[in-house]
Amino acid sequence: MAQDVDTAVNAADTDRVRALLRDNFQPQDHEEAQELILGALQDVQHLLGWVPLWATRLVAEHLGVSENRIYGLLTFYADFRTSQPGHHFMLLCHGTACFVGGSQNLINELRDHYGIADSETTSDGELTVQVVNGCLGVCDLAPVIQFDHQNYYGKLDVEKFNEAIAEVIRQGPVENHHEAH
Amino acid sequence: MKLTNRSQFDQLVTTATDAFSQLSDGTKWVISVGMSECSFAKGAKDTFQALNLGITMGKVDATLRQVGCGGWCWAEPFITVSGPAHPPIIYANVNADDVPELMQSIQHGQPHGSALGVIADQPFGDIPSIFDDPFFGKQRRILLRECGFIDPYSIEEYIANGGYSAWTKALFDMSPEEVIEEVKTANVRGRGGAGFPAGIKWESGRRTQAWPKYVACNSHEGEPNVYKDRRLIESNPHLVLEGIMLGCYGVGAERGYNYVGGEHILAVERFKHAVAQAYEYGLLGENVLGTGLTFDVRTRVGGGAYICGEGSAMMYSIMGERGQPRTKPPRSVEEGLWRRPTVLNNTETLASVPSIIRNGGEWFAGIGNEKSTGTKLITMQGPLARLGLVEIEMGASLREVIFDMYGGMAEGKVLKGVQTGGVSAGPLVESQLDVGLDFDSMKPLNGMLGSGGFVIFDESVDAVEFARYLMAFNRYESCSKCTPCRLGNPALVEIVDRILNGNGRMSDLDLIERTANHVIGLSLCGLGQVAPVPLQGMIEHFRADFESKMVNETSAPPREPMLVHAADD
Ligand SMILES: Cc1cc2nc3c(=O)[nH]c(=O)nc-3n(C[C@H](O)[C@H](O)[C@H](O)COP(=O)(O)O)c2cc1C
Ligand code: SF4
Ligand code: FES
Repeated sequence: MAQDVDTAVNAADTDRVRALLRDNFQPQDHEEAQELILGALQDVQHLLGWVPLWATRLVAEHLGVSENRIYGLLTFYADFRTSQPGHHFMLLCHGTACFVGGSQNLINELRDHYGIADSETTSDGELTVQVVNGCLGVCDLAPVIQFDHQNYYGKLDVEKFNEAIAEVIRQGPVENHHEAH
Repeated sequence: MKLTNRSQFDQLVTTATDAFSQLSDGTKWVISVGMSECSFAKGAKDTFQALNLGITMGKVDATLRQVGCGGWCWAEPFITVSGPAHPPIIYANVNADDVPELMQSIQHGQPHGSALGVIADQPFGDIPSIFDDPFFGKQRRILLRECGFIDPYSIEEYIANGGYSAWTKALFDMSPEEVIEEVKTANVRGRGGAGFPAGIKWESGRRTQAWPKYVACNSHEGEPNVYKDRRLIESNPHLVLEGIMLGCYGVGAERGYNYVGGEHILAVERFKHAVAQAYEYGLLGENVLGTGLTFDVRTRVGGGAYICGEGSAMMYSIMGERGQPRTKPPRSVEEGLWRRPTVLNNTETLASVPSIIRNGGEWFAGIGNEKSTGTKLITMQGPLARLGLVEIEMGASLREVIFDMYGGMAEGKVLKGVQTGGVSAGPLVESQLDVGLDFDSMKPLNGMLGSGGFVIFDESVDAVEFARYLMAFNRYESCSKCTPCRLGNPALVEIVDRILNGNGRMSDLDLIERTANHVIGLSLCGLGQVAPVPLQGMIEHFRADFESKMVNETSAPPREPMLVHAADD
């Protein structure tokens, strides 16, 4: 699996994942257990920012399915991240509205100046980008990016894009400023 | 507080209606803030907090509430103020910084400068009626009627506006066959893209002799330019839920599913919340309102794969598998989820049903045109004066929607074309804009209504680049199950890249045509079967963009891309 098996497992995180599964995923039967796999993985990712190997084991155990099967899902569905993201996580919308507004320029800029492509993290560990092959649902702000699940910057050109990235990195990792937006 | 019979529900209607009417009867100030994904992106949470702070500090005596998105995304964050001094006013682009001034004007009973319009037929002073604005005035809001006006977290506000009256009408006054009959009379066609009549699908679902059966609502919405379903769920989740419940009753299913794209986090949250409320009131669960009938609804989420919008792929995804389509037959009404009969409809299709049951199929059939009845949610994107979500009567002309409702092109922009049908159809050009927005009119033009997402583009967009983008989307989203799609789409991208790199030859256009026909004719599912159509459409309408990039035919021929042979043999 394309992830660091040795990532230190922190006991508090394990407890949080266990509690999440216990409280929100109580299947009545094996059919329902299977229906809950994707939802559980999504919630784990919301909690941790990615889906580490140890967490897939907990999900597999809790729902009575094989780890192998879960791996098959994690690699098929584009939403899931199996390596730890950087301090900041950017969704870069590359939907049609954003495309006609110039999102390709932003993707090129990431390649040329930050050295990253889709699903990659900058070498300083500050920024992970995920290119959205869908729509962030705010096309009137196209081209638009979202940082750390809440903080949007829209109507971007390359210059504003760089400013936005600089601003977000300057603010420091999200844990330190929950009210950021 | 579980209701156990119909009269208890009727009592709830009375109390809910009273409470709701007090919000707008002018006896007190009420400030409603639009709170949805699109307004959060523009700072609506801050606006809400600033208002809340002002109210707690006693700046104004007002009730603060949240509502969903009304579709006027360009005006967000928006708030609606109603009170003793004037009819309800919608204010546009209210940021946290604007709040102190706005509060002052409310205190003085004065409208504030940034008013968009009054929600009344007559203007108020210099503030126009919003209905004089074509964006509002030309809509036919049935599904969106309550969106932007009710609190999506309040089942009572939904009930106060006629919510769940279709459910009780069906349960107590109609047989399941009668419900299906109304849906057939309404002739509501599937809003997920294909336009298949829902009533006919329901009827075959009902006739299938196997139990249990399911109804599944497709709220996946993975197209790269559409957000109608999630916005509807965010703004009025109970409407979609009631539609699913009516489907269950009609088909004879005890369980309904709503499959929502995993990235639509707010829609998932609000839908789950709505389901929980319906259980609390006993509108779902065992022995619903004393009828002895059981109904359950489950919310399931996806994982960001466009192909999971395809019916059979969606069902695999719900069952915790990779979402890869399968060959049909058996159709899903015979063998769907857990190999049991499953009736699948789009969110918007199901959300049309409560009004059909309330007002009758004839009423619905009278809206729109003969073959495409009812209304359609439309999202327009690109360099337009305004952007947002509207509900139009089927058949309205594309030109009218672009130039009247959306205010035409943004300043200084010239329309080059309109990409239709998401990633599944070709573009239209200026001379074709009088076409009606319905299921059939665009087909002869190789356009498509699809799920109602249109992208306007101007001269800054090169047709070859755009075609490459649309091709690459489909290539990326191909599930790779069948060869024509898995190999043919990369081959097409490769040819377009060659043209973009200045190595294309005129003969490449024929090669595209042949490869495209392979992919279209031989692919297993709807993704592959239409994947090359946008490229074909771009060539048809903007041939000059392609030709201008071709190399001189007399120079040495380029190496054939490896993959082309695979798809071309
Ligand atoms: C690649 C692909 C993606 C699709 N995505 C969606 C979708 O996101 N939502 C949807 O309702 N239908 C989608 N459809 C259409 C569904 O297969 C199906 O026809 C539809 O959900 C049926 O509902 P309706 O009859 O109410 O339209 C998609 C089809 C294909 C081939
Ligand atoms: S046509 Fe494409 S998306 Fe559809 S089954 Fe074949 S490979 Fe998968
Ligand atoms: S296409 Fe980017 S927000 Fe819709």
